[in-house]
Amino acid sequence: MITLQLLVNGIALGAAYALVALGFVLVLNATSAVNFAQGDLVMAGGLLAVALAPVIPLPGIALLPVVLVLMAALGLVLALAAYLPLRGRPPVSVFISTIAVGIILQNGASVLFGPEPRAAPPLLSGGTIQLGGLVVAEQSLAIVVVAALLIAGQQWLFGRTQLGRRLRATAQDPEMARACGVPVTAMILVTFALGTAYAGAAGLLLANRYFVTPTAGGDLILKAYIAVTIGGWGSVPGAVVGALLIALFEVGVSSVLSYPVALGLLYATLLAILVARPQGLFGEAARRRA
Amino acid sequence: MGALLAYALLYASPYGLRVLTVAGVYALAAIGFQIVFGLGGALSLAHGAFFGLGAYATGILGSQWGWSFVATFPVSLLVPLLLALVVGLPVLRLESHYFALATLGIAQVVLLLAVNSPGLTGGANGLPGVPGIVLFGWAVPRGLPLASVVWAFVALGGALAWRLASGRWGRALTLVRDDPLAAGTLGLDVGGLRLAAFALSAVYAGAAGALAVHTQRVVSPEVLEFPVMVSVLTIAVVGGRGRVAGAILGAVLLIHLPEWFRFLERSYLIVYGAALLVTMVLMPHGLTGLLDRLFPQRPRPLPRVAAPSVVARPSGPVLRVEGLGKAFGGVRAVDGVSLTLEAGSITGLIGPNGSGKTTVINLISGLERLDQGRILLSGRNLTGQRPDRIARAGVARTFQAVSLPEGATVLEAVATARLERDRTVAEAEAHALWALECLGAADLAARPCADLPAALRRRVELARALARQPAVLLLDEPAAGLTDAEKADLAGHLRAIAALGTALLVVEHDMGFLLPLAGHVLCLDQGRTLYDGPPDGVRNDPAVVAAYLGEGAP
Repeated sequence: MITLQLLVNGIALGAAYALVALGFVLVLNATSAVNFAQGDLVMAGGLLAVALAPVIPLPGIALLPVVLVLMAALGLVLALAAYLPLRGRPPVSVFISTIAVGIILQNGASVLFGPEPRAAPPLLSGGTIQLGGLVVAEQSLAIVVVAALLIAGQQWLFGRTQLGRRLRATAQDPEMARACGVPVTAMILVTFALGTAYAGAAGLLLANRYFVTPTAGGDLILKAYIAVTIGGWGSVPGAVVGALLIALFEVGVSSVLSYPVALGLLYATLLAILVARPQGLFGEAARRRA
Repeated sequence: MGALLAYALLYASPYGLRVLTVAGVYALAAIGFQIVFGLGGALSLAHGAFFGLGAYATGILGSQWGWSFVATFPVSLLVPLLLALVVGLPVLRLESHYFALATLGIAQVVLLLAVNSPGLTGGANGLPGVPGIVLFGWAVPRGLPLASVVWAFVALGGALAWRLASGRWGRALTLVRDDPLAAGTLGLDVGGLRLAAFALSAVYAGAAGALAVHTQRVVSPEVLEFPVMVSVLTIAVVGGRGRVAGAILGAVLLIHLPEWFRFLERSYLIVYGAALLVTMVLMPHGLTGLLDRLFPQRPRPLPRVAAPSVVARPSGPVLRVEGLGKAFGGVRAVDGVSLTLEAGSITGLIGPNGSGKTTVINLISGLERLDQGRILLSGRNLTGQRPDRIARAGVARTFQAVSLPEGATVLEAVATARLERDRTVAEAEAHALWALECLGAADLAARPCADLPAALRRRVELARALARQPAVLLLDEPAAGLTDAEKADLAGHLRAIAALGTALLVVEHDMGFLLPLAGHVLCLDQGRTLYDGPPDGVRNDPAVVAAYLGEGAP
C-alpha cells in the first residue's frame, strides 16, 4: 500500500519534471543551446502562481492559462535578450547569458518574495480521493493529468500542424529550413516561448505540494539536465522517461533514507552516467553536427 | 595597481579596507578561474566548491584543531587540488555543457555534504572562532595589514598566472580551447593540459577560500553557495576572459559596486546578472578587451627567422599501414586498406565521395579509433595511440575544413606547432617564421587568421603542419578552392617538401593536379582499395572508371 502511494507520488513528481525537461529539450533541439535558466524559469512560474493567487481567487487550474501566457511572453524576452544577439558565437556564450538570466530571476524573486518557501494554490480542491483501498491526493492525480495533456498537446502540435512541421524543420537543420522558406528566427522565438511556458506550468504544478523558493532553480536545472542525459541528448520521449525515472528514484530513496541522500545519489549517478556513457542510456538522438 | 595602493594607504576607511580585502580574495579566485575557463575554455561550475573547500579546510583546522595559518593554508590548497585531480580525470573528457553541468553536480554534492555533516562542519550554522593570519609569529591585524597580505597573495598569484599564460603552456592551453582536435594533431596532450589547468584553478580557489575565512573569522555554507560562483564568473567575464588584469579589474569593480550604490544592498546579484548579460552581448572581450581597443598596443616586431635543427630523416618505407578497418554503425567506412609510404615520395589517395579517404587519414593520425589493422612508423607500432603521441612520433596532417584559431595572428597560429618541441614561445615563433618562409608566406605572419581568404588559410595550415618537421605529412584536399596558378604553386612546394625526405599522402579530387604530382596512387571505393599502382594506369583502370561513373558506364 505504501509502495503504491509512493508510486503515485513519484509519477506525479515525474510528470512535473517531464515538463521541465521537455521545455529544455525543445529549446536545445531548435537552437543547440543549453538553456541554463530553465530551472529558474520553473521557479518563476511557481512564484507567478503564488503572486496571482490573491488576484484570481480560483483553483490553480484556472491560473494555468494565465501562467502559460505570461511565461511564454517571458520566454520571448529571454530569447530576444539572451539568445538572438549571441547566435553565431561559441555555444558557451549562450550558456553564460542564460546563467545571467537565471541569476537575475533568482535574485529578483528573492527581493520580491523573500527567501521563505511559498505554496501555490492546488489545481482543484486539494483534498484526497479514495481509489479502492488507496487514498490518493487529488493534487497528484491532477498533476499527472495536466502534465499528460500538455505533453500530448506538444506532440500534437509538432506532429500534426504546419507550425509543428516548421518547428521540427528548424530543429533538424536551421540552414536548410531557412533555404526552404521557413522563418527560422520566428520558429526559434516560438520554441523559447513554448519551452518557457512549459517550465512555468511545471512551476505551478510543483509549487503546491513541494513549495517554491527563489533558489530552487539550481536543483531543477540539474534534474532536467539529468533527465535529458539519461533519455539521450535531444530525444523528446527520452526526456519524459528520464524525468519519470529520476522522480521515482528521488521519491523511493527519500522514503527509505532522506532527501539529501537521494539528491546526492542522483548527482553521483549523473556523474557515473556521464563518465560511462556520455551519449545517454538510450543513445544520442541529436548527433553533434560536424 | 598604483591607484589601488594610493587609495588603500591614504583614503580608505577601516570598512573600505575590509571591502578591498574581500576584493583581493575574489581577484585571487578569479585569476584561477581565468586559467581553467579563460585560457582552457572549460566552464567549471565547481570553482565555487573549490573555494568553499579551501575555506572549510582552514575553518575546521583553525577553529576546531587550533592549527595556525602556516599549517592550514597548505591544506586549503591541497584539499581542492586532490578533489580536482580525482573528479577531473573522468569529467574533463566531457564536452562544454556536459562538463559545466557535471561540475555543477559536484558543487551541489559538496554543499549537501557540508550542510548535512554538522559534526564536522557545524552544519547550516557553520563554525565561529577561526583565527586570523599569523606570519612568522606576527598576528596580522585587520585593516591595512590584512589587506596588504591578501593583495600580496594576489600579486604573487597574478604574476605566476601571467607568466604561465603568456608562455608556452598558456599558448598550448588556448589552442586546446579553440581547437582541441588540431591541438592533439600538433603533439599537445589535450587531456593533460586540461587536467593541469583544472587542478591549478582549484589551488587558486582554495587559497582564496582560505583567505576569505581568515577575513570573515567564521566559515558557513555560504562559502559553497552559488553566489560565490556567480561572482567569480561575472568578475572574469566582465573583466575580460583569460586575462589576469581582467580578473583584478573585475574583482575591484564588482566587489565595490554594491558599496558605491548602497540602494543595491540586497539586490547586487541582480546587477551582477545584468552586468554579465550585457557584457556577453555587447563586449565579449570584457573591460580589458575594451581598453585594448581604445589604446591599441603596437604590434610586436617579428622575430628573426631561425631554421629548427634538422631531424634525422628515415629512408625507405616510413609508414606502413596494414589491413586498416573502421565501421560506423553498420557502415564499413574503411575495409582492409593497406599502404606504404616511402620517404621522399608523394602518394595520391583518390576515390568518390564517401569512399573513406578522410577516414583513412583520421585513423592514421589517431583522431578515430581503428577497429582492425596496424600502423607502423619506421617500425614503431603506433596502433591505437593517442593523436598527440602519433604526432610526436612524426606524423602531421591538415584538415579538409581548415580551422585556424580566429583570435591569433598567422605567426601565432603556426607557432602552436612548435610549442611541444621548443623551449620558449620566442623560439617557437622564430621556427614558425621559417616554416612560413619555406612556403613563401612570411609576409602573412602579422596578419590575423580571421581576415585570411580560403586559399591563404590553406597555405597557413600547411605551414603549421610543415613546422612540425614531420616524417609523414597527410594532406586532406590541399588544392580545394585554389585557382590554377595557386595549384601550380602548391604542387611546387609539395615537391620541395618531399625532396627533403618527408613522405606525403595527398587526398585530392583534382586529377589534373594530383596525377602529375604523385609517384603512386591508391583509389578507394566504399572503404576498399580498388587500385594500387602508378598514376598512369589509374585513368584506364576499369574498376576505377566504374566507381567514378557508375556500374554500367562504358
